[in-house]
Amino acid sequence: MRIGLPGFLSRGKKDGMKPRFRDTLKMIPIFTDLTRRELAAVERILHHREYHAGEVIFRQAEPGLGMYIIESGRVTIRAEESTDSVSELGDGEFFGELPLLDGGTRSATAIAKTPCRIYGFFQPDLFGLIERNPRLGVKIVMSLAAIIGMRLRAANERVESLLRRSAERGTATAKRRSGRR
Amino acid sequence: MTPSSVRLNRWMVWGGLGIILLLGILVPGVMKMVVLSLLLAYIFDPIVTAIELRGFTRTVSTLFFFAVVISILVILVSFLAPVVVTQLRALQEGAASEETAGIILRMQAFLRSELGFLGLRDLDLAARINELSASLSGWIMNYIVHEGLSLIVFSVAVPFIVFFLLKDGREMKKSFISIVPNRYFEFALDLVYKMDVQLGNYLRSQFIDALTFGVLATIALWLLDVKYFMFIGAFAGAANLVPYVGPIAGALPAVAVSLFSTGDAMKAVQVIAAFTCLKLLDDVVIQPLLVARGVNLHPLLVLLAIIVGGELFGILGMLLAVPATGFSKVVLQESIVTLKKYRLTD
Repeated sequence: MRIGLPGFLSRGKKDGMKPRFRDTLKMIPIFTDLTRRELAAVERILHHREYHAGEVIFRQAEPGLGMYIIESGRVTIRAEESTDSVSELGDGEFFGELPLLDGGTRSATAIAKTPCRIYGFFQPDLFGLIERNPRLGVKIVMSLAAIIGMRLRAANERVESLLRRSAERGTATAKRRSGRR
Repeated sequence: MTPSSVRLNRWMVWGGLGIILLLGILVPGVMKMVVLSLLLAYIFDPIVTAIELRGFTRTVSTLFFFAVVISILVILVSFLAPVVVTQLRALQEGAASEETAGIILRMQAFLRSELGFLGLRDLDLAARINELSASLSGWIMNYIVHEGLSLIVFSVAVPFIVFFLLKDGREMKKSFISIVPNRYFEFALDLVYKMDVQLGNYLRSQFIDALTFGVLATIALWLLDVKYFMFIGAFAGAANLVPYVGPIAGALPAVAVSLFSTGDAMKAVQVIAAFTCLKLLDDVVIQPLLVARGVNLHPLLVLLAIIVGGELFGILGMLLAVPATGFSKVVLQESIVTLKKYRLTD
């Protein structure tokens, strides 16, 4: 049970976060359910980075440590084997969130298309936050799990629809063959 | 943070590091203070974090921790001061007491008769002990007079540095990491985090082990009615930080004191048995419980570290040499493992 504390003793009063960026954070699904005080606690563990146009943020297959939130600028995400960009992201969007949970390797390369101001949210800092404020930590991890779950469900549906389409194509081909006979 | 504030932050971090390094080179005492403060901050960090867990700010948590520590110290001092004063007096008068003089005479007679062939026929043990005692007291007085001021500065500065390391350590780490170029940023963060965990575990387990051993040794010596049990127990705990030679060095004063104060060999045997049991308990129960202690250091490395520590920073340097070497080994090990993981070639 947490002790109720007078404001000047409790965390999150002196957050110093820019209102615009706080709004940006609030828009990100992982942080949507957080209160202003909790957002301030998250802001304190974010790492501010600046990238010039063309600079690599991370490379595919490299070990990953966490996710990035774009404050301003544009970032291209692409798979190394193809030159086509998988997607292009802009202000307030985020990428590379999977390593935040599993600490695995990056599945694509991220490159700054224009000069970018980016905030990094990394696993060691998330662990520290969970240690100091488990309630907030669980909220973030649950939101992350929900996002991953949603993606898994979407991927399953896509696989199912592909399988269905391939089965339908197989049946149609078989019917055509039997019709010819 | 604007680009200019990022640049300012970088300058401040590099400037701060430069000043500490320069002071460390110019004034060796500063380096000793910083190293000791860093070790203490690592040991106490989880306690402050546990207080923070109750919803307090880091500053309030650190202040609360210091208030508790100071209260405990005040209580300990008020309870133990009479015992310490009695033991100090006994230590001063020890060599002059009739009982001790009798023991010395008996030992002198024994050495003259049994080891006379070694040239000890004319040995004046009492005079030799008095000479040694006089030179030792002279050395202690000289040390107090010359080092008194720096001791006061040390005992004020170390808690002061520890306070700020505990309060702002996280921000300091963040500022330090912020100066790393983008390409190596995640690698640096990963490395710092792993080192933090490993070092924290290692130093805390060392501290808990030394504290437990010291308390147990003090209790054992008190039960065996050995004089100056508090000093010897505390020394044995601190000496236990040094592998191999530490436990022996910790037991030697206890054996010597019990032998000289009573002249009873059985008493010395009891003390040896007590220290052997304590060391066994330490090896079989305490150390396996403190899993992270396993930073294996080669005996030769330990010996070299103690010599270098002693040469540079005296007795405190000798005691801190092993944890500091363990610290360096963890840093090196984690750097290699993380470098391999990231395979940073360009």
